[in-house]
Amino acid sequence: MGSDSSWVRDLGFAWLVARAILFSLLGIVLLVAFIVFRRWYRGRYFVRLSERTVVLREQWADILSGKIPGSAWRSNPLDCQIVEDMLLDNIEVSEKDQVPAFLACLRNSGLLDLRIREARSSEGWHRRSVLLALGRTRAAEAVPALVEALESSSEETRVAAVRGLGRISLAKAAVPLLDLYAAGQLNVPEHTLKNALLNCCRELPQVLLPYLNQTAGRTRELIARVLGELADPSLGEELLILAADPLPEVRASAARALAKVQPEISFPVLSTLAVDTEWFVRLRAVIALSSLDHAGKTHVLLRALCDLNRHVRQRSAWTLARMHQGKEDILKKVVATQDNYALQAFLSELERCGTLDAALDGLGNLVNHAPEGANVENVAAVVKEHFATPARTAAAAAGKLR
Amino acid sequence: MIRFLEISNESLFFFYLISNVINLALLIVAIYKNTIHRYRLESLRLEGIRSSPFTPPISLLVPARNEEKCIVDNVNSLLRLDYPQLEVIVVNDASSDRTMGELSDNFGLHRSPILYIAEIETAPVTAIYRSAAHQQLLVLDKKSAGCKADAINAGINAASSPYVCVVDADSILEKDSLSRIMAGIISDPERVVAVGGIVRILNGSIVEGAELKEVRLPRTHIEMLQVIEYLRAFLVGREAWAAFNLLPIISGAFGIFRRDLLLKIGGFRADAVGEDFDLIVRLHRYLHDHKIDYHINFIPDPTCWTEAPSDYTSLARQRARWHKGLLDTLWSTRDMLFRTRYGRVGWIILPYMWLFECFSPVLELFGYFTIILAIVLGALSQRFFIQFLLFGYAFATLISVGSVLLEEMNYRRYASWREATWLLVYCLFEHIPYRQMTIAWRLRGIWEYLRGDLSWHQVTRTGAAGGAAVQSAGATGKKR
Repeated sequence: MGSDSSWVRDLGFAWLVARAILFSLLGIVLLVAFIVFRRWYRGRYFVRLSERTVVLREQWADILSGKIPGSAWRSNPLDCQIVEDMLLDNIEVSEKDQVPAFLACLRNSGLLDLRIREARSSEGWHRRSVLLALGRTRAAEAVPALVEALESSSEETRVAAVRGLGRISLAKAAVPLLDLYAAGQLNVPEHTLKNALLNCCRELPQVLLPYLNQTAGRTRELIARVLGELADPSLGEELLILAADPLPEVRASAARALAKVQPEISFPVLSTLAVDTEWFVRLRAVIALSSLDHAGKTHVLLRALCDLNRHVRQRSAWTLARMHQGKEDILKKVVATQDNYALQAFLSELERCGTLDAALDGLGNLVNHAPEGANVENVAAVVKEHFATPARTAAAAAGKLR
Repeated sequence: MIRFLEISNESLFFFYLISNVINLALLIVAIYKNTIHRYRLESLRLEGIRSSPFTPPISLLVPARNEEKCIVDNVNSLLRLDYPQLEVIVVNDASSDRTMGELSDNFGLHRSPILYIAEIETAPVTAIYRSAAHQQLLVLDKKSAGCKADAINAGINAASSPYVCVVDADSILEKDSLSRIMAGIISDPERVVAVGGIVRILNGSIVEGAELKEVRLPRTHIEMLQVIEYLRAFLVGREAWAAFNLLPIISGAFGIFRRDLLLKIGGFRADAVGEDFDLIVRLHRYLHDHKIDYHINFIPDPTCWTEAPSDYTSLARQRARWHKGLLDTLWSTRDMLFRTRYGRVGWIILPYMWLFECFSPVLELFGYFTIILAIVLGALSQRFFIQFLLFGYAFATLISVGSVLLEEMNYRRYASWREATWLLVYCLFEHIPYRQMTIAWRLRGIWEYLRGDLSWHQVTRTGAAGGAAVQSAGATGKKR
């Protein structure tokens, strides 16, 4: 600063500041230059990409049939990338019977083997992108390379491998995932693993059963959750056993799956699960019951309508309000429960369905037949407070309410 | 006197130097983090999140007060978001206009018997409505407590999902923004308790029916400067702080939180001036107090577009209010400073916020005063003065250009050469005189806080976010 005694100045302060300025200016120039160069380079790259895509698209039939050998396009990285993307996109969207042609092209051109080698030998983000690409091929021979990556020390790589195995969508790919997970050796986010298992076991959910039987705790819950999504009628008896499982997650999954099983088998179990100690098990049971065609379900749903949990009540009301059975009859039974929350939920659902007016017409008649002790004044109060138009209130309040 | 001025000016220089070196370090960390994030995005299939039955449900909370101009379009836009299990809860905070009427007319609302338990105390909720047309839309009508936080808290009480996302009623979320922001939670649901997305400036863009049709840069200088400011704040500051789990704020315009934790900390503090900053600091405190391993994250690609003030008066009010909020929260959490139990939060981010955010306008003002005085008294060499100005200018510009680089490398929302050029040009003009103006506005905030004026100074809005086509949006004075 102004004084000769300044210690900063003794250290060459001005020179330091000048250097800082120069450094900053140089940084600005470099950053701007990088931005400009990158924009220019990307623009050029996309023009070339577009041109080559058009050319390769014209030759697509010959590339697929092998008339144009793989060596013709594999040596050029841009061409190779375009053809690979086109093949993988086609595999993803094609019907099953069309996939072998694309897969044959991948195999015959040697591209699949190249990617498998890269999945084993490369590192970092390149390896991860190769693992995902391998998954997209849906080729069974890619499974071992993907499984090897499950043991990587990098979580990102393990996640990529799980995603890759998920995309392969073969039961064969689920087995190593389940083996490692059941042994507690697979550390990846649960959501990724569940999705991968869901894809792989879609056609053969039975693959999950042995693992469900030999695991415990959180592992068992995860497998049960996947099974709950995939279960089909063939799993009927197994599901009955799971419905009695000590883990609530497993019971909830069983309830979810039982919706797809014959009503004669599933109804008694779902009736029991509808009074489970855990609310989400009860909710799952009520949801499952709603899709079940069984005469006895009204009684169970009415009981669920008086549940302590609002989600269970609402779901039960949703189902009851959409049943073909006479609404007045159900309304009568709801009133008989003497539960205002239940009545509120049911009337609200009726209103949403547009059948409230008709049901309330019946309410006027209903009061004359109300069971001894039924608190009809409360019923009227609820109706008044939440649903009343003057006409509706009049209808509801007819008879005793006067 | 001369000696005092010398020491003062030297201190000011080192204050600038440290501040800029920290910013440079943040820029480097942000570049690294953004690059990693870009790689991750390449392997992330949003379709996997959208189609998975395992994706956790979200309750979107939309506090609305006198939003009749844009509420219908915006709710429609939220209902169209690409997310599998979504509940939209609009909280009508005692609007005096036709906000409730518009909602009722357009969504067929009917009273719903939902059991509302006020786990967080709020002003009374007078009615709860559900839409006949959209099962997932719930509207709470409540009495006003005079603050947005209270409305959000009512929404938290009514929410039925494990995660709640708070969105401003006049902001626009991109269609895939919820899937993108949830990707950050799904990757580590045990640790990640809250995630913030980026807030970008809507002014100048083309909007139709609350849907963003075309991204464009704003046309006025003041809006352009805010674009640079937002890019720097989000892409550099928040990205880098989040890397160290030191994120001090998640924007009130767009953030997602674990509902159970919000309930545990009592939701948003109703008397906080900057409720979003206050919430995150209290979350840090709660999680440290209970020794819970956690991460509060920022993800730069889920985008919320919002109107920025387009006139100086509104901007001044907004910045003053932000600074009041900053001061209010820092003061209320002063006991966390330098406490071992709060770890890096108490030792790094809170002292940083005090020194380089809260006190910086005071220090800068004081610095300008001493420099001028030193020049007048002949105690400052002209050469050093020019060098000092150049240094501050060049270094700060470097950081701004760095944030544009991040935008270019990863997100490229402003695609044309023309827009990129303008962004770079405005980086050069950001620091003089805009920076000095923001100092004045922040000082005003400090003054108002010390006087006890904690009001919001509500400003009128054009409803641009829900309007037909926006070229230059009006002032909201509401986002951070």
